[in-house]
Amino acid sequence: MPEPRPATREEIAVMARLAGLDLSPEHFEELVGAYANLEPMLWRLRRGRDRADEPAHVFDPRKFMPVDPGTGR
Amino acid sequence: MAGPLHELTVAQAGRLFRSRALSPVELTAAYLARIAALDPALNAFIAVTQERALAEARQAEEELGRGHDRGPMHGIPYGLKDIFETADLRTTAQSRLLAAHVPRRDCTVQARLRAGGGVLLGKQSTWEFALGGPSFDLPWPPARNPWDLSRSPLGSSSGAAAAIAAGLCPAATGSDTGGSIRMPAAACGIAGLKPTYGLVSRRGVLPNAYSYDHCGPMAWSAEDCALMLGVMAGYDPEDPGSLDAPPADYAAALARPVRGLRVGVVRHWYEEEVRAEPGVVAGLDAALAVLRDLGCRVADVRLPGLREFGDAKTPITLSELYALHEGDLKRRPDAFGRSLRYRVLAGALVRAEDYVQAQRWRAELTAAVGAVLEEVDLLVTAGSFTAAPSLDPDEPPTFLGAAVPSITGPFNTTGMPALSVCCGYDGAGLPVGMQIAGRPLDEGRVLALGHAFERATAAGRRRPAEAGMQGAPAPADTG
Repeated sequence: MPEPRPATREEIAVMARLAGLDLSPEHFEELVGAYANLEPMLWRLRRGRDRADEPAHVFDPRKFMPVDPGTGR
Repeated sequence: MAGPLHELTVAQAGRLFRSRALSPVELTAAYLARIAALDPALNAFIAVTQERALAEARQAEEELGRGHDRGPMHGIPYGLKDIFETADLRTTAQSRLLAAHVPRRDCTVQARLRAGGGVLLGKQSTWEFALGGPSFDLPWPPARNPWDLSRSPLGSSSGAAAAIAAGLCPAATGSDTGGSIRMPAAACGIAGLKPTYGLVSRRGVLPNAYSYDHCGPMAWSAEDCALMLGVMAGYDPEDPGSLDAPPADYAAALARPVRGLRVGVVRHWYEEEVRAEPGVVAGLDAALAVLRDLGCRVADVRLPGLREFGDAKTPITLSELYALHEGDLKRRPDAFGRSLRYRVLAGALVRAEDYVQAQRWRAELTAAVGAVLEEVDLLVTAGSFTAAPSLDPDEPPTFLGAAVPSITGPFNTTGMPALSVCCGYDGAGLPVGMQIAGRPLDEGRVLALGHAFERATAAGRRRPAEAGMQGAPAPADTG
């Protein structure tokens, strides 16, 4: 796999636009600064895993049944 | 009574109530007087509920007087971090966005504390939505550290820790998504417990990141945390993350023997990956000697690296944060404090597959720590790398965990219980903390070791000098 390279400002602008963000120049600078810290974490996450490796979020439908606040049931 | 009222622990005050040597009204009035005198310099409270507190104290006094005992928090004054929703009482998250937010219901934790006869002194300051801070551009100034007003009590349960250390309340609620109970506890020389994920209900607590948020007790001692946890914990069908676990008697667990416990020291986190300040390392070394004297079998262990835990946590929490705040970020970004906005915006750029990969990594890391906890009973490491840092209004916001990885976050990733207790003081006299972590739902053993340690050492018994709390810090720009 090729060595990842940091996203350019133009690429970050495209990603922000795709996310629906319309940022002022000041807030765009904040995003560029923050993403520079986040991006290396994302690179390290993107690696091969066994197909059977489950994510840590487990869905239990019983947890989302309506509850009466008065009785707790 | 040996000392002043504001130095009583929850356990001591409870005993005095029951022997009729002290009344809840007397104790509440003493705390209200200290809040009035000292909080203008500390900023630990956003709102003080004086009339309500006195009414609740009178009710507690009357009930205890006729033998109606609601348990260990009955008549005990406490504070609520201002993300815990309170019926008919403003809950702001220290944010312009919720400056006028008045909930209709109490959160489950407040409902439990109220039913347990606790006396609410007020709502306590936090970082914006328990994440952005310390900030000087919010409607309320950040809390200051009573050990040195020029320093931060850290966060985000800043007001709770500052108030307890300053003797403005004996106990408070905190929340902990990456260390927000344990970091301020360490910085202020008190105790704070992040319980197992799901043990204490999050219902009605304004979220930071759903899958990492924990609520827990903060107090002077592990014993008080145990007493408060017993009231706060329990299954809540209105919290999808709530654990339907059998009830435990945390106060009784304090008496469990610690001799023979296998204690694994995660030294590489604070001596190799990050070099903690000498005062922190010295405090830990002294604490480990105490644990050996108590009969614990202490040996170093190795866990995955701190950055690996950060890699799992940050994409998950950022995605959840961004999902929570997306609408406001797009409609009114200037309503956010700069620190919160800086920390949340990048969540817009986390891809869905990165979120899932982080969740898979979280599962692997939890299993890896669980494997080590098959070999030892408890884990011990530093509560922080430094003593309380300076509180600088001009410091730009930082991206959490980037420059220095978190030493508290790993136990949010694993959801395991972790307690911070004071283990000493650095050369400047500032407190430093030790974390004790255990297996899921093993709060009893975690608290038992913290309690045994506190009884065996003078660490944690010092109080900040009152003269220092009356100084005039630089006025905060409250925007």
